[in-house]
Amino acid sequence: MALLDYRNDMQRCSRCSLCKWPPLAQIKSWRFSNVCPSMVWGNFHAYSAGGKLIAALSLLDGRIDYSDKFLEIVYQCQMGGACDVSCKVTRDLEPLEVMLELRAKCVEDGQLLPAHMVMIESLRNDDNPMGKLKAERGKWAEGLDVKDITREKADVLYFAGCRYSFDQDLWGIARGAVTLLKKAGVDVGISGKEEACCGGRAYEMGYRGELTKYAEHNIETWNTAGVRTVVTSCSDCYGTFKYHYPKVGKTMNFEVLHITEYLDRLIKEGKLKPTRKVPLQVTYHDPCHLGRLSEAYIPWEGVERKVLGQIVIQDPPKEFRRGTNGIYEPPRDVLKSIPGLELVEMERIKEYAWCCGAGGGVKEAYPDFALWTAKERIEEAEATGAEALVTACPWCERNFRDALEQDGEKMKLYNIVELLLEAL
Amino acid sequence: MALTRNVYQILEDIVGPENISEEPVILDSYAFLWLAETVTDSKFFTRPEAVVMPGSTEEVQAIVRACNRYGVKYKALSTGWGPWNAPGDEGVVQVDLRKMNRILEIDEKNMYAVVEPYVIFSQLQVEAMKRGLTCHIIGAGANTSPLASCTSMSGMGLSGISMSYNARNPLAVEWILPTGDILRLGSLGCGAGWFCGDGPGLSLRGIMRGTHGAMGGLGIFTKCAVKLYPWPGPRQMHFEGVSPGHVAAIPQNFRCYVLSFPSWDSFADAAYKIGEAEIGYVMGKQIAAGIVPLMAARSPTEYAQIRESGMADEIMQEFRYALQLILGAHSLREIEYQERALQEILAETGGWIPSPTQDPERQKTTFRMMIKVDGNSAIFRLSGSFGTSFGAETSCDAAMVHARLGEEIKKKYIEKGVIADDGAEWAWGAEMNEHGRFAHIEELFMYDPADPESAKGAAEFIEETSLLTAKQAPGLAIWELARGGLGPKAHDIYGPACSNYHVWQRRIKKAFDPNFSADATFYIEPEE
Ligand SMILES: Cc1cc2nc3c(=O)[nH]c(=O)nc-3n(C[C@H](O)[C@H](O)[C@@H](O)COP(=O)(O)OP(=O)(O)OC[C@H]3O[C@@H](n4cnc5c(N)ncnc54)[C@H](O)[C@@H]3O)c2cc1C
Ligand code: SF4
Ligand code: SF4
Repeated sequence: MALLDYRNDMQRCSRCSLCKWPPLAQIKSWRFSNVCPSMVWGNFHAYSAGGKLIAALSLLDGRIDYSDKFLEIVYQCQMGGACDVSCKVTRDLEPLEVMLELRAKCVEDGQLLPAHMVMIESLRNDDNPMGKLKAERGKWAEGLDVKDITREKADVLYFAGCRYSFDQDLWGIARGAVTLLKKAGVDVGISGKEEACCGGRAYEMGYRGELTKYAEHNIETWNTAGVRTVVTSCSDCYGTFKYHYPKVGKTMNFEVLHITEYLDRLIKEGKLKPTRKVPLQVTYHDPCHLGRLSEAYIPWEGVERKVLGQIVIQDPPKEFRRGTNGIYEPPRDVLKSIPGLELVEMERIKEYAWCCGAGGGVKEAYPDFALWTAKERIEEAEATGAEALVTACPWCERNFRDALEQDGEKMKLYNIVELLLEAL
Repeated sequence: MALTRNVYQILEDIVGPENISEEPVILDSYAFLWLAETVTDSKFFTRPEAVVMPGSTEEVQAIVRACNRYGVKYKALSTGWGPWNAPGDEGVVQVDLRKMNRILEIDEKNMYAVVEPYVIFSQLQVEAMKRGLTCHIIGAGANTSPLASCTSMSGMGLSGISMSYNARNPLAVEWILPTGDILRLGSLGCGAGWFCGDGPGLSLRGIMRGTHGAMGGLGIFTKCAVKLYPWPGPRQMHFEGVSPGHVAAIPQNFRCYVLSFPSWDSFADAAYKIGEAEIGYVMGKQIAAGIVPLMAARSPTEYAQIRESGMADEIMQEFRYALQLILGAHSLREIEYQERALQEILAETGGWIPSPTQDPERQKTTFRMMIKVDGNSAIFRLSGSFGTSFGAETSCDAAMVHARLGEEIKKKYIEKGVIADDGAEWAWGAEMNEHGRFAHIEELFMYDPADPESAKGAAEFIEETSLLTAKQAPGLAIWELARGGLGPKAHDIYGPACSNYHVWQRRIKKAFDPNFSADATFYIEPEE
């Protein structure tokens, strides 16, 4: 689909502003009642999802042209999709798709952000958007006793993703994940320096070609390697595999799991037994790409028709992704399986969780906005009284770490993997 | 007609560079509004010249003074949902009050909250519920501003039966008059706090908003004390489930019903009796017969299949004259009494409780939608938009006249294919404000804003029903029609049928706004 295909969605936006709030019944206090970081940061209506739909319509209709402000409105947004969930509580519109198409159009029309261009150049040269050398990709696993699937067969491929591969502060988590899998007797391998980006971040920034390239490459590599399962600790990669990869139309002969799903399964099968007490009160941050954005791709090709006068239907019927089927319980179940650990919930959770701030190319292009968004979440975590904030995504973790460091905050930060390791 | 650099600079100095914009991409997001296509043939009204976002009363006052001084018009908005936010013409500065978003105080004992313009009902309600209180929420939804509907516009909603409508609910108000002077209405004016909206001396509440509100035409309201009401439910409602369905258990001291009746007459009889018995907590006609099949469908496509198969005809008929009712009591004995009273009323009026609505899961959803008022934008779901008609604040019997007229006229437009076939019935309202003192009925209809023919049909429907209201159905038609259907001449058409209110309204406008600085479009043009 192209931007123009969503013109009716733009015209049918009612400007209700529901995309600025969590589903209304889930608002629990004045303080934590916003759901759209872009809107709170930018304040003018144009920054909301509805506002971006209007901007897209205006652009298509030639009422406005590109400007620096236009690009700021388009790109100062994490593409975390909370807006999409709130809109779809009552509507059958696709605000997030419009926003993705709008970015793709910007890129097509050469309306690029310098910070994103740097990422894309790095991606084209070194298969990662982080400005790191490809040759260094496998370093995170040095000394780890794990198969290399480029040389030997394994049932399960552990996909580290760019952030875990190159962010040395986080290497321990990727290593810990592999350790846990091995402890549970999983036949696991990695691709080391041959691993390539998932392409998801580029797609969200509007660079469509990059996603197709990596999706085709990765699917082909994993099919050829004969792996039965691809497991990743990165929520962004996971969301990309579940939602964007099926779009390229290549058969995927493997199952995709997030590490928290896999660990949950292993615990429930009795293959991992958390027995050591971890006396800690924690709160869990749902990463956007593991939660609402991890819903599987639902192919739909059809047309819009009118019946009963002016009732608009999709023919054949279209299933909308409304955030209903994200991965919400497995990470919580893993946490609940840890003796002594108590999980307390924040106000904005699951499909209406507040974003960590790192996504959509925001951390690179608008670092202040990214950190502000993280701090807002940290405040919400602190308000629960929990001692620690737990997450399951390296991008969230990086951004929370940076925010905590900047403010000298005391709140502890963990990945689920670290807590489970402690409990074994 | 862009603002002169001088004026722009003055406004920028007031709010700071980050809080003013004349970027077309930003301006268009204010020009784009619901129903615009029924007036302008596009989704856009006239662009404002600039948008300013003040953060305090002082800043609002300085903006208004600057506008007066330099002959620029201004138009305020709170959350900005609806055509009445649009500048009527070129040369208007939009004052977006989004940054004024605080609940300043909740006075539990005196049962009011002081809010700024960008607080929404959902926020106020959850904070009030923590104290055993709640607020009346307008039918538009809990995503709108209590201050906006209390001070400036309409205010009807289904909790009106026990909490009245929002013309009654503002107490003291901080008001930047069209000239820039500050008026502190009611008790605030003599330093006695926020508890009362009247006096000392004459009450100005009627002038401030009257029945329908000045819709931005009489200055800018910066703070408002909103009356709160007892909430006999839990301090925090826990909604289970994942989007799009969130449900909470119905507390033991509440009941949630859909009541059906054989005719409009028995419907009205029952509404009056429920009002007289003072047993309703939330009540009104929300669900149209044509919408009922959507409850059994997962998508508009499935909905259409059910409708086209004829399977829904019977159930639509059963819901044709249906009221939704929540009973809420402070004790179990009281709720039992209310239930018995209701049973008697049903027996007297021939009403019944349709069996599909007795499903506890469905009841939970209805309960949520009526207490949280979170589902109303579903009205846009089937066709992309809706419009409305009639809607005078009047007796329930007179409202039934509107309902009948609405059905008749709708059939014609359904036949033309320009609006959705909803079975020619979507009367909305009958909320029986103040336990029955007055109610209103709007006839809603669905159209497609992306389809020029449909939008044109919607415009014609609005115009025809607006004229009909003036001629055949006493009472002033609902707000948006004043402009959308009949244009600036609306008040001159309605006025003679409604005690010549337009003469007084014009005088008020002239007296309060000598420089005609507050954009008058949706209020009243100062000159005939
Ligand atoms: C789909 C839909 C359904 C609706 N249904 C109902 C309903 O059932 N009952 C009902 O009562 N209303 C209804 N309305 C109308 C509604 O009352 C108004 O739109 C309204 O008050 C919404 O609040 P808001 O925050 O969006 O106000 P806005 O839309 O921002 O403002 C409404 C009007 O008040 C003026 N205004 C707002 N704030 C201020 C201020 N601080 N100072 C001066 N002027 C101000 C604006 O200029 C505008 O003319 C409906 C509207 C829509 C879009
Ligand atoms: S995008 Fe959806 S939620 Fe946002 S304003 Fe438009 S219709 Fe409302
Ligand atoms: S994706 Fe996130 S930041 Fe962007 S508009 Fe939606 S809610 Fe706001």
